[in-house]
Amino acid sequence: MVKEATEKVIPNPFVPYPATLTSSVDLTTDVKLFTLELDRPEDEFDYKPGQFAFVSAFGVGEGPFGLASVAYRKEGLQFAVRRVGTVTNALHQLEPGAKTGVRGPFGNFFPLDDYKGKNIIIIGGGIGFAPLRPVITTILDNREDYGEVLILNGARSPSDLCFASEFDDWAKPPRTKVELTVDAGDDNWNGRVALIPDVLAELGPSPKDAIAIICGPPIMIKFTLTRLKNLGFGDEQIVTTLEGKMKCGLGKCFRCNVGEKYVCRDGPVFTFAEISQFIEQF
Amino acid sequence: MTKILGKTGLESWLHNIMQERALVAPKHVGDLILFDPVQSVDEVVFDYENTNLSPKEFFFPRTDTLFTTKSQDNDVELIPTIIDQETVIFGIRPCDARGIAMLDGPYLDDPADSLWAQHRNKTTMIGLSCTKPAPQCFCTSVGSAPNDSSSVDIMLTEVDDGYAVEAVTEKGERLLQGVELKESDVTLSAPSCDTSVPAEGIVETVKKVFDSPYWSRLADRCIHCNVCAYVCPTCYCFDIRDRTDKGKIERIRTWESCQSKGFTRIAGGHDPRADKGSRLRQRFCHKLLYFPQQFGPLSCVGCGRCVVSCPVNIDIREIISDLQELGAKVG
Amino acid sequence: MGEDFTQQIRDKAKELLENGAVECVIGYETGSDGVSARPAFIYDAAEVDRLAFDNTCTHNLVKYLLDKKGKSTAVVVKGCDSRALNLLLSERQIQRDKVYVIGVVCPGVVEWGWNKRSEQLQKRCNWCRQHTPVVSDFAVGEPITEEPPAEFADVAEMATKTAEDRATFWRDQAERCIRCYACRQACPGCYCIDCFVELLDPEWVGIRIAPDENWMWNTIRAYHLGGRCISCNECERVCPVNIPLSLLNRKLEQEVLDLFDYKAGMSEDAPAPLITFKKDENLGIAE
Repeated sequence: MVKEATEKVIPNPFVPYPATLTSSVDLTTDVKLFTLELDRPEDEFDYKPGQFAFVSAFGVGEGPFGLASVAYRKEGLQFAVRRVGTVTNALHQLEPGAKTGVRGPFGNFFPLDDYKGKNIIIIGGGIGFAPLRPVITTILDNREDYGEVLILNGARSPSDLCFASEFDDWAKPPRTKVELTVDAGDDNWNGRVALIPDVLAELGPSPKDAIAIICGPPIMIKFTLTRLKNLGFGDEQIVTTLEGKMKCGLGKCFRCNVGEKYVCRDGPVFTFAEISQFIEQF
Repeated sequence: MTKILGKTGLESWLHNIMQERALVAPKHVGDLILFDPVQSVDEVVFDYENTNLSPKEFFFPRTDTLFTTKSQDNDVELIPTIIDQETVIFGIRPCDARGIAMLDGPYLDDPADSLWAQHRNKTTMIGLSCTKPAPQCFCTSVGSAPNDSSSVDIMLTEVDDGYAVEAVTEKGERLLQGVELKESDVTLSAPSCDTSVPAEGIVETVKKVFDSPYWSRLADRCIHCNVCAYVCPTCYCFDIRDRTDKGKIERIRTWESCQSKGFTRIAGGHDPRADKGSRLRQRFCHKLLYFPQQFGPLSCVGCGRCVVSCPVNIDIREIISDLQELGAKVG
Repeated sequence: MGEDFTQQIRDKAKELLENGAVECVIGYETGSDGVSARPAFIYDAAEVDRLAFDNTCTHNLVKYLLDKKGKSTAVVVKGCDSRALNLLLSERQIQRDKVYVIGVVCPGVVEWGWNKRSEQLQKRCNWCRQHTPVVSDFAVGEPITEEPPAEFADVAEMATKTAEDRATFWRDQAERCIRCYACRQACPGCYCIDCFVELLDPEWVGIRIAPDENWMWNTIRAYHLGGRCISCNECERVCPVNIPLSLLNRKLEQEVLDLFDYKAGMSEDAPAPLITFKKDENLGIAE
């Protein structure tokens, strides 16, 4: 065997950090909140709201999920995962103590420091609320840095509203409002039955010194965008996080691209000023 | 002065290479000519236009293991794949070598794809310039030439009494150590290849015609198989999934193509490219717009494999012409 | 054939587009090499002169009707292709009243590739017993009424090999397969929304492009076409690595013919044997 003279070991970016599932909690009928702890103290994993990571279900594969926790609280890596496919199904089967793997963090993040002093409108639909949770946590942990905060959380049904147990805490601080809506109510539901874009039009938040942060299915994002623009929000004031089919998170597999942009590397967070420059539809 | 290696000299050199390394060369497989490991110089095909499949699979295999897992008690160890096989590819065409060099762009971009990097480090490419380009070849139209030695380690060019030898890289020089070459004053002719594909300015054109109905009309004919992507030396998209075999888990990566129906469909159902037109457009926009924007060159090397292999004659040369014509009309 | 057939197809296409009977005519035109045919989609009567018919018109255009569901479409078919119409009609994939069939009595197609054509008939044409389309709204060419009986020399030859030799043979073929799915994409009988090979739950095959998985893929696909394959042999033509898929498909075709005296796609309403349960049926194969 001939050996190259200058051989150095190239780290394999596809090998995840070994991790252990420490808790798995039902958020809705098909969404669980997983908490993971990295097994090796030397593995560094610093992240910001909006970033994502791949979580492994060994034997099936891995999938990209938005980080639902905040790094500074050091409460483990949290992911809200909806059971929709083979990987998520396998993750839902895992019991605390199970071995898993995490690869990341990937992507850009919500520049929350730049939003200091502004009024914040946070709009999320269904499981789309997962990447918004660390945004809320960060803002509420630094409440005095921000202006009015409006949180609008919508879902198909009351039982599909993610993070329901945290709504009371979110609404506690001053100048903070939580509004909920569902597409279809049930016997115990006294709240709104309306689509997010319509609720937004009804609430009519002012665009003055405001930033709107949206996450949800593409159809919801598109309609919500129209309503925000009707309310006078400029493209720079609207920020969203996009979803894309992803296999690597490294800008290599070329599956998440929207035109010349990679959702995994250039995103997933984009302002609408950026999105309106995309050559392709997301 | 040109350095010449005689035909028998070449054969014994290849024979020697095989003693220490894997030799991959064009070989008859059924009625195809494919790059394949050879065990004897007799298997090597020296006279061929180009192979039916590109040699990219020796850097980006159709199936690769990213890592394997080893479980013990409640602990999982993840073992990354290490490639230690030294390989020499003989007879690689300039277009194919250029395709591989081009993929260093995405694959070596930080963080480097370690499998690609290892394959690149462990492989020496002996190029064979084209003396008779095939009718489907158009490398000259997309920035290369039949004797382009820029992407190989050693370039051979067939001459009357053997092969003219050019050591292009240090790696190539090392492989040539001890090989007896004779000096000659023969001048190498520079064959020409189809220069009529109007690729110049295509990046700007594609931007202009991105929303044209041209794509969905073209997609009428496309059957959305993966042939074009799999024969292409520069298509590099992949899929990743775990495989369990007798309790052993490995994470594998395989070729995948943007023409597949599920390529962009996310769990939950949304598919930003659900229609045939936008899927077909993705292929050409990646080659003619996104790749050049990110890495410089068009990611088409003009090998013409897709032209020959497409079951329904989706012809990139014709498409480039059509787009330029369309772009001129849009103004 | 040639010019005369071409003219008849153009004239009919013009008429159908002008009177609004169809939105699109799917036929053939000359490809980018100038020597062989490729599928053509004509939406405008002014463009019918693109249409052409010659002995390189190989593609089974019936497959494209699956992309035109609910839209009035005319399609040019040869004898073998026309059997796919019956297959898709019987499986309720297309509607007869939405399809206008321009049926060409096929004298056979020749071996060709991009930028090259021979005068040698394709393999499929040697087996073909259906030169005249079985479904047609407008006939091009003189119908051929007498066809010789089916023959399976290629299958018989394969059967002379030992099981071990056959396994080696298919193993070699599977080694070459790159799982590009061109066979499936060209096949008018392959239209599942979720093909078994891509299903992840359950994962029948696995994503590796490797001999075991490739073998599984080709074999199961052949079984799914048992009693359904209409012998157009497009799968074999489009295969970039020349896997002789006809050997699998024709083996099954012969079995179905022997057991049920059934040929796929010959009529719109004949019950397909492998999806028909008859309580008293005795095939003599389980005794």
